[in-house]
Amino acid sequence: MIGADSLLRAREPSALAGARRLTVFYDERPIPASDADTVTSALLGVGVVATGRSLKYRRPRGPYCLQGDCGTCLVRIDGVPNHRACTTPVRDGMRVERQNRVLAGGPDPTALVDRLFASNIDHHHFMVRPKLVNRMMQDVARNLAGLGTLPDLPAAAVRPMEHRPQVLVVGAGRSGLAATARLRAAGLEVECLDRFDARWSTPTAQAVRWETPVFGIYPAEGVIAAIGGTADDRTLHTFRPSHVLIATGARDVMVPVPNNDLPGVFAARGLLGLLTRTDTALNCPTIVVGAPAVAQPLAARLGASFVAVDDVQAILGGSRVEAIATSSGKREAGCVALAARPAPVSELARQAGAEVVWMDAGFAVARDELGRCGQGPWTLWACGEACGVTADVAADDGLRVADNILAAVRSRPDRGPR
Amino acid sequence: MTQRMFICRCEDVTVAEVDHAIGIGLESVEEIKRYTGLGTGPCQGKECTVALVHLLLDRGRITASAVQPFTARPPAEPVTLAELASLAELTGPAELAAPAELASPAGEAPPSGATP
Repeated sequence: MIGADSLLRAREPSALAGARRLTVFYDERPIPASDADTVTSALLGVGVVATGRSLKYRRPRGPYCLQGDCGTCLVRIDGVPNHRACTTPVRDGMRVERQNRVLAGGPDPTALVDRLFASNIDHHHFMVRPKLVNRMMQDVARNLAGLGTLPDLPAAAVRPMEHRPQVLVVGAGRSGLAATARLRAAGLEVECLDRFDARWSTPTAQAVRWETPVFGIYPAEGVIAAIGGTADDRTLHTFRPSHVLIATGARDVMVPVPNNDLPGVFAARGLLGLLTRTDTALNCPTIVVGAPAVAQPLAARLGASFVAVDDVQAILGGSRVEAIATSSGKREAGCVALAARPAPVSELARQAGAEVVWMDAGFAVARDELGRCGQGPWTLWACGEACGVTADVAADDGLRVADNILAAVRSRPDRGPR
Repeated sequence: MTQRMFICRCEDVTVAEVDHAIGIGLESVEEIKRYTGLGTGPCQGKECTVALVHLLLDRGRITASAVQPFTARPPAEPVTLAELASLAELTGPAELAAPAELASPAGEAPPSGATP
């Protein structure tokens, strides 16, 4: 299964080989990796793009968004299912396995589903009657359903840790880091969290709890919950802050073109982030697809060519991208990068009770002129790309909202945490 | 491979399937989600919701000023059941506040725990 052709190459010749001193195992086959690699970048480094199969049509699938959002890069790591390969940093000796394989080796017979049911499967009526067929269908579905199988070992105990900061900043991107620095400089006690490790963000002197995703905001209980630590030493962080600043940024979303699910189709911004993190460049012909205003600048930064989304007839390939059919003919490609305008990330703000408005690229957090977007057990604020602000001015927006938080804290010192 | 154009890759929902749902009279984000299963996979709508809204706007089924995404609920990130269980221990027994309690103005007595 491991392809010979790497999708990535070192920017400096010879740099990558020297840096690749770690070994991870993919379905028991050794793969070289560097400190900067995620599981996905290590796999792309040896040409592996397909890491699973889709649930219904059983089509080959692999990573798409490359930034921990989309859910099709899930793999089993060291005996625990459903790790996101794209944002999991490699460790030496890590064991990575594909999930939901019908047979351990060889071709997957369920791949026929995609060909046999060339028109859509309507699950409301599919094999519901007669009863015998229904029973057979249920048996098959039970074996294929779900994501992975249970972990090898029971989960380790979870260590609780409670925090009562004056301000909790969710997200350590441009706006979140700027706000954190401003608030701390003014003497406030600030916790800043990010979902991923520090290598995805711009270098910062600020203390950040990296790899500590907030998974739930519970206004009724007055608690914000995040999970951190390593696989065998998990810490459940609970926060009861006076102020919460949502700085969750923006993400890439899906662009509908035919066969947009082929392994080797990636989100353009996510791909750029991966290349930056691993200091690599693309090693195959790559085509960026999207509206010209969004896709052309990304194509330039990726060192790729550009095709307008309206000119794409279909992405072509068997188990991975091979070409694009356009209105002016076929163009070969090893990678296709889909470029849409970044969509504000608003799920956590919505959990906290904030409202959102449609802003063409996505649903942005609605806030007042100061940056407030809700009042409950804490005052809820939002800044940066989550509010529809563009990336180039996100840091300025973070500073502005931080100043308004400062003013609010100083006008109500009795609301401090201690 | 059969040519398919996906809106939601988690649940394998294609543009043709959304158009089928529109054809039987469904038109809001919530209705399409309930009928097709779109947005109910591991990504929980992070990849597909915006693409669905663009499609529904193109088809003239919704207006940009009124459209809303489906409800966001925890967990927004992967978390194990053991971790969720320990959160429940930390935050005490499940005395869930009625939604009205949060919205009630300061000073007004919150409704009692019993659901009316």
